[in-house]
Amino acid sequence: MTEETGGRIVKLTDRFVETAIGDETVIMRLADGDFFALDGTSLAIWQAIDGARDRAKVSEAVGLLHQGDPAEIRRDVDAFIGELVAAGFVAG
Amino acid sequence: MPASSSQPLQDDLVALMRRETRVFPGPFVDRLEGRLVTSGTQYLDHARENFLLRDRDFSILYRKGHGVFVSPETAAWPGEVALYLEGSVYAAAACLNGLFPLHASAVAVGGGVVAFTGPAGAGKSTLLAGLSARGWPMFCDDTLIAQVGDRGDLACLPGHKRLKLWPDSLEMTGARSIGVVSAAYPKHFASPAGGDVARILPLRALIVLEEAEECALVPVSPGERIALLDDDHHTRLIYEDAAAITQADKFRLLARIAGRLAIHRFARPKDPARFGETTGFLAERLEGLAE
Repeated sequence: MTEETGGRIVKLTDRFVETAIGDETVIMRLADGDFFALDGTSLAIWQAIDGARDRAKVSEAVGLLHQGDPAEIRRDVDAFIGELVAAGFVAG
Repeated sequence: MPASSSQPLQDDLVALMRRETRVFPGPFVDRLEGRLVTSGTQYLDHARENFLLRDRDFSILYRKGHGVFVSPETAAWPGEVALYLEGSVYAAAACLNGLFPLHASAVAVGGGVVAFTGPAGAGKSTLLAGLSARGWPMFCDDTLIAQVGDRGDLACLPGHKRLKLWPDSLEMTGARSIGVVSAAYPKHFASPAGGDVARILPLRALIVLEEAEECALVPVSPGERIALLDDDHHTRLIYEDAAAITQADKFRLLARIAGRLAIHRFARPKDPARFGETTGFLAERLEGLAE
């Protein structure tokens, strides 16, 4: 959680471009041209990040689509958002 | 370069490239836009109209709309100069006219093209020669030039380079040598046994060559296709410079192509004793790939 986002998870859209291809979404980091492919759960988490939701709300949205233990979904969401923050794609 | 309504019709592309790559004698040039272009380097001007390649004894200047000017004639002509004309200069002319290069060799299959890509030494030309020996016409060697359509489809120009093979590949494929490239570059020009093709054809599949213990042909996931299409071959670098393309635009272009193009990994042993087996494995699947 940061002061800038008030807990909301926000995509840093000036740092990447994305495209849907087949049942995947591919993101390219503009700084170095590295590619990241998202599918399944990672794609669901990415799509649930709308700039208004915090981690709890993102987990809730993912849980509506993917049945499973809410605590486990929350752990997956936290872990993946951590990766997205580290990659420079989101803040929050 | 992204497709636009001003792109030449496909039928005009062969004629365009033929006009643009006409060779004329010209003055020795070592500067472009006031910038000294040193031996062993190349330079594209900011207007994207002129491409200068310098070597120790000669210069080659491509001028868009006018052709290629080579000077002076030296002991290097025609062999060494011819290699540059087929390579970087042709690529520059193609890219400055909005065409897209792939580092690939290819055969014609059922009204389309199946291309093979991989780094230098992956076996692209050797595989091409092996398939040609089985009757598949050669479409191109080493560089595939294409027009990218609005929906990412690729219309491929017939090859402009001669097939070149190392001596061991000549022996392995049974290809006929028609001369050594040069003393400094002892590959052999070879005549493709299956003949070649002189018309524009659509690209149906791209095969990424890899080495493994046993043969396997595996489709590549949609996301991975984009990464595989992003290569750093010198012709692609010329394209990116010629198109003044941003990272974001390049991504969108590759995504458009990846959305349409079937890409497979062909893993196979590179043991010369198994070349017939591995070539046969792919040959049996070529028509299915081209559908």
